[in-house]
Amino acid sequence: MSEIKKIKNLKEFSTSADRFEGANLLCPGCAHSIIVREILNATNDDLILGSSTGCLEVCTAVYPYTSWDNSWIHIGFENSSTAIAGAEAMHKAKKRKGTLISDRDPKFVAFGGDGSTYDIGFQWISGCFERGHDMMYVCLDNEVYANTGGQRSSATPIGSSTVTTPAGSHSYGEKKDKKDMLSIMAAHNAPYVAQVAPNKWKDMIKKIQTGFATEGPVYINAMSACTTEWKFDPADTIAVSDLATDSLVFPLYEIINGTELNITYRPKNIVPVKDYLGAQGRFKHLFKPENAHVLDEWQKRTDAKWDLLQRREEARV
Amino acid sequence: MADKIDLLDIEVWDGNMAASQAMRQAQIDVVAAYPITPSTPVVQNYSTFLANNQIDGEFVMVESEHAAMSGCVGASAAGGRVATATSSQGFALMCEVLYQASGMRLPIVMHVVNRALAAPLNVNGDHSDMYLGRDSGWIQADAFNAQEAYDLGLMAFKISEDHKVRLPMMIHQDGFMTSHTAQGVKTLSDDVAYNFIGEFKPMNAMLDLDRPATHGVQTEEDYHYEFKARQHHDLMTFAKAKTQEVFDEFETLTGRKYSMIQEYDMEGADIAIVCMGTSVETARLVATDMRTKGIKAGVIGIRIIRPWPFEEIKEALKDVKAVAALDRSSPNGALGMLYNELAGCLLQNAKPSILSNYVYGLGGRDLTKDNIKQVFTELKANADTGKLTTPTQQWISLNGEALNFF
Amino acid sequence: MAKNENNGWNDFDIGALLFSFDKETKNIATTLQEDRPYSNSNSFTASVADWRVMKPVFNKEFCIDCQFCWIYCPDMSIISRDKKMIGIDMDHCKGCGICVEVCPTNPKSLLMYDEHLEDEEALIAAWPAKEEK
Repeated sequence: MSEIKKIKNLKEFSTSADRFEGANLLCPGCAHSIIVREILNATNDDLILGSSTGCLEVCTAVYPYTSWDNSWIHIGFENSSTAIAGAEAMHKAKKRKGTLISDRDPKFVAFGGDGSTYDIGFQWISGCFERGHDMMYVCLDNEVYANTGGQRSSATPIGSSTVTTPAGSHSYGEKKDKKDMLSIMAAHNAPYVAQVAPNKWKDMIKKIQTGFATEGPVYINAMSACTTEWKFDPADTIAVSDLATDSLVFPLYEIINGTELNITYRPKNIVPVKDYLGAQGRFKHLFKPENAHVLDEWQKRTDAKWDLLQRREEARV
Repeated sequence: MADKIDLLDIEVWDGNMAASQAMRQAQIDVVAAYPITPSTPVVQNYSTFLANNQIDGEFVMVESEHAAMSGCVGASAAGGRVATATSSQGFALMCEVLYQASGMRLPIVMHVVNRALAAPLNVNGDHSDMYLGRDSGWIQADAFNAQEAYDLGLMAFKISEDHKVRLPMMIHQDGFMTSHTAQGVKTLSDDVAYNFIGEFKPMNAMLDLDRPATHGVQTEEDYHYEFKARQHHDLMTFAKAKTQEVFDEFETLTGRKYSMIQEYDMEGADIAIVCMGTSVETARLVATDMRTKGIKAGVIGIRIIRPWPFEEIKEALKDVKAVAALDRSSPNGALGMLYNELAGCLLQNAKPSILSNYVYGLGGRDLTKDNIKQVFTELKANADTGKLTTPTQQWISLNGEALNFF
Repeated sequence: MAKNENNGWNDFDIGALLFSFDKETKNIATTLQEDRPYSNSNSFTASVADWRVMKPVFNKEFCIDCQFCWIYCPDMSIISRDKKMIGIDMDHCKGCGICVEVCPTNPKSLLMYDEHLEDEEALIAAWPAKEEK
């Protein structure tokens, strides 16, 4: 086991040498990049990285430029998990045979958007977790197919207006609530599953370091506020992220060995869900009088989810 | 350290076991595979080797064929020897990743035990899956029997992993007819086989941690065309040359001769059948019978389907009067693939042979010696009269009214 | 990895492979950017400066080196060395304005200005005063 990088505070963290490079093609204010930076900077270990097709992939490896300072692979929309699992298997085999090129043990990390994770790549991730590869899978969850122009995914929350679930005279947008991916991954008996948000960097670093120190498959669901599809000013990425975590729409918690649930962030002042929704253009229509019931439903569901998390934390199930 | 297996000089193996043994002897680093009829025994045999400590590498038992090829691509890019096996629907499912494997220039070896494609569902042999892969950028070799599945299974690593080639390679064999038929197979000892293949030499490996590489980038209209051209060039030149070189080395080692196309009874032939898979052996028997009757009949088996042996076929058929292309895949709206590709070759000959097309054997329908005899008889009529005496395309052994569209 | 679009098909590395560095690199995680042998395929060597409509201007006078701008910058454009914020990488800054939003000082140590305003000394000289709360 390699040494865990010491990060006492932000000043110390700021001495990190980024391994994700600028002049990538991500939108100004994109949270993907903030998340990737925090993850890569959480360790000094070598990394073998993969990305499924999506914003992160198409913005960081367009010939003739790469924004990655570690080896990186992209195959398709659905299979960054299995590509990285294959690389992990190769490392294991070569280590056993004594034919490794480098004598250091890298960490294996696969990235995918919520489309790649909740939808098209779901089976591949499930397979990797069932087989127990020693890898981390990070879902950059912006709740929409952002790379292709904002179609709904199964991570799109209720009331969200997307180009395939547009709000209209007879619709308030997406009708269904998002899939509970963390519970599903915990049900794989994954040793470590966590939800993170880039605005809560310390919580995130701690979880990523725990993930790196864990043997076996680790699932990280990272909230990624999308300036383009959530429709807010690029400068407000962190402000919107704060609203998400402080309204408990994105509660921060971890699940160890499938059952031990720990809430890792309890906002001092819980803000109303409508403050979070109101900060984003994708929910603008919900503030029309005829959609008031959706706002109520949102608050109700968020409260119920928070209540359930607290009960699970207490009951350790 | 894996335990070795003391093989007899001649083992009784079916095609699947022949493929499995070649994989074992290659000391593969990672196999990612998913079972599917009729290639399932390859996966099962490999599991048994693993259970008995006869394999050192990792065997990743994935949840689908798409994942199998995805895992192979990840493992191969990481830098090591990789192989898998599949058939039919599984092949179709991994099709997306086949193109990525070749475009990313990863030397993956895959045994494809050929089987029909649904619907209707069918587990038996035909060449639908083989044809599906023909534009995928892989080197495609065809084994006509278990011996060849073994031999090509060893040679494939040497061809595919060559640093100038770096293209994945499929070895085809007929589902059931080859894969499940026990035959005598001349073996190489574990050491001789491994020494022939040689150690894997990494190139652009992700696990070369001091030299980080980005694999699987996006290229648009400014670069994509050139990369596809480069890949085609390398397949046509480097892969072809290396294949011949490895065939020659293998002949020196074993006395077994391989070439881009396999010619049987082709000396002075007036008529010839061109086909693939087990049909080659059936056609050979009939051609020999024909020769005893004074009919100059020959057979060409396509050994290397991609890169297509254009010049070799042109040369082999230049004096042949009538040729039949036997396609074991539903043409679905066209003449068969072999017909079309042969037509391209013949067109450049001074006296192009009269070419006819036969569809046969779909979903495991038998191709009998009598069927072949009938084809040769029709070819002879074409040769004697100097014109096509049959419809351009016919369906062999099809129940019901004859289908004639061309 | 040639950058010339007029290059022929045989001028490229096979598999459209890109290497991040020109030379072998050990411990890249602890090697600062100025000490890295970046290849010309690394996007670090490229610029997105022309994306900007607004640009951040840094006024050192009020900076407390909290590093909020460093951690939340999506474009690796806040240059911090030895725990001190020392400037902005204007080749990689896309002008999103997050650094200004997260800056906790009063007045802020970073402010957004029109990209075409070139005289940064003048902008700093005219920096707004502390806001009374």
